[in-house]
Amino acid sequence: MALQLTINGISIGAIYALIAVGFAVVFNIMRFSNFAHGGMISACAFISFFFQRAFDPPPPFFVTVLFSAVCGMGIALLIDTLGYRRIRLKNSPKIYYFLMSLTFAILIEQILTVFFGTDIYGFPSVFKSQTFEIGSMIFKTMNIVILAVSVVILVALVWMINKTKIGLAIRAVAINADTSRLMGINSSVIVTVIFIIAGVLAGVSGVFLGVQYGVFPSVGPSMMLKGFIASIIGGLGSLSGAIFAALALGLIEMFLTFFIGATEATVILFGIMLAFLFIRPQGIMGIIVEDKA
Amino acid sequence: MSAYQTGLIVQISITIMTVVAVFAMTGLAGMFSLGQAAYMAVGAYVTFVLSRFLDIPYPITGIISILISILLSWIIAVPTLKLRRDYFALITVGFSQMILALVLLFEDFTRGSIGFSKIPRMDNLLLVSLVGLALIIFWIRNLKYSRFGRMCIALKNDEIAARSFGIDVYHLKIKIYVLASAIASFAGILMALRNRVITPDSFGWAQSAEMQIFLFFGGTNSLTGAILSAGGLKLLPEFVRDVTLFGVSMQEYRTIIYAILIIIVINFRPQGILGEKEINFKWLKNLYRRFKQSILKKNESYD
Repeated sequence: MALQLTINGISIGAIYALIAVGFAVVFNIMRFSNFAHGGMISACAFISFFFQRAFDPPPPFFVTVLFSAVCGMGIALLIDTLGYRRIRLKNSPKIYYFLMSLTFAILIEQILTVFFGTDIYGFPSVFKSQTFEIGSMIFKTMNIVILAVSVVILVALVWMINKTKIGLAIRAVAINADTSRLMGINSSVIVTVIFIIAGVLAGVSGVFLGVQYGVFPSVGPSMMLKGFIASIIGGLGSLSGAIFAALALGLIEMFLTFFIGATEATVILFGIMLAFLFIRPQGIMGIIVEDKA
Repeated sequence: MSAYQTGLIVQISITIMTVVAVFAMTGLAGMFSLGQAAYMAVGAYVTFVLSRFLDIPYPITGIISILISILLSWIIAVPTLKLRRDYFALITVGFSQMILALVLLFEDFTRGSIGFSKIPRMDNLLLVSLVGLALIIFWIRNLKYSRFGRMCIALKNDEIAARSFGIDVYHLKIKIYVLASAIASFAGILMALRNRVITPDSFGWAQSAEMQIFLFFGGTNSLTGAILSAGGLKLLPEFVRDVTLFGVSMQEYRTIIYAILIIIVINFRPQGILGEKEINFKWLKNLYRRFKQSILKKNESYD
């Protein structure tokens, strides 16, 4: 039982990690909290749901994931062009980014609500066998797939940021956008790359959330909150911290939900986050990002 | 006046009240909170649940609920406001989710997602809300032009500079957040009295976001801009109630319309519709002075 709970918890935590990283990547470069991430996730959940249902026989699951990732990328770039570009060019205060990302989150959620209502659409089953057994233990196939895909994506992302040339450019822009432009880095290209990464992560996590919790307009914003909590516990802007915190969060939530209850778990998680801010505001990784006024 | 009109006026004055509270926080001090609807929920639920189960008249429990909101906002503010601004926005989102989870958790008292109904009728609600609104606007207006308000504006524009001028930034932020939360919980009580039923859905983070949208539409630096845009945008869907698009009443689209409007405003006029301007009665005074002068001149020419 405990092992099964652990596996389920880690697989939920892996989704949270995808969300938290997508959020942290944008935060690192642009220095604002991208609330629109939740809206992107919802939109991708709906897109993948209709994509999966549009074909008979349904397409393989990885095709849906890929399609959703591409759509997430498109939505992220669209939001960047419509919302953030002019703010960036004008060098307006950060608070406008906040408001803009918030507006897009609400816009997407409301469009989905008006056209599809607030009902929960169940995702059609994707695999022939829902569960498989190893010895006496029963595992859900979906949890394992989610875990595997998330690990692959996260490892690829961390490798890209730490080892490749474009990753170096991303890290440079994260430290200081103006100075890195002086060093010959095209920071507007880097911003585009960042939104592509965020969009892909939102697309993938949208499919997974849709499969696990069903598809409804506020699926993204409500789950995005867990991503927020993870990135705060991990230390705002720290990728590895966010991943560890998200996995821990998934585990804690799974155990709390099992032993106490789902509603209580939300309250307790918030309490943990607040306690963390009291005791160790710099997060697990201990990197504190100073507020540059 | 029909019940519909009265209800509409009360609703608009509640909206303006919340937006004015957000103006004090975001417009003056530059703090971006997304949890103001949660304080409305605290006000509404604590007032009427306590009044029902302890058998105390609701004006007394109303005061208790405002005190509880003040305490809660203080608890949230103390650890969060020491950190950079982004934490504050995130924590307030988390806080609003937590309050709604608590409402669902104490289902025995709050009746959960079904909604807490049978809230007593208040006869002179219109009067109370209008007087309350006027007092709050007057208060915040005075705040803006006071020493406190000027310190807030200094803090908003450059926190480090404000600190180097000897302004206690941390305590200033706590004060203004607590104040905004108290106003929000008062508005929550009025909203419960108007609707006579409270559900957790009506206090989601979308409501908090709506307040910010109204504020930015009118202009973050203009109190009258915030008031006018809150009133105007809230009234706007009422005119298009009968229009339908894709078989859905235009009223359903109101948030989408707000969102599109604000995207246009932020892109092309980021300071908001009114910008820095305040609508006041100075021009009337000037007109009067000029009028008096011209009469004096005429009299002189007669001499």
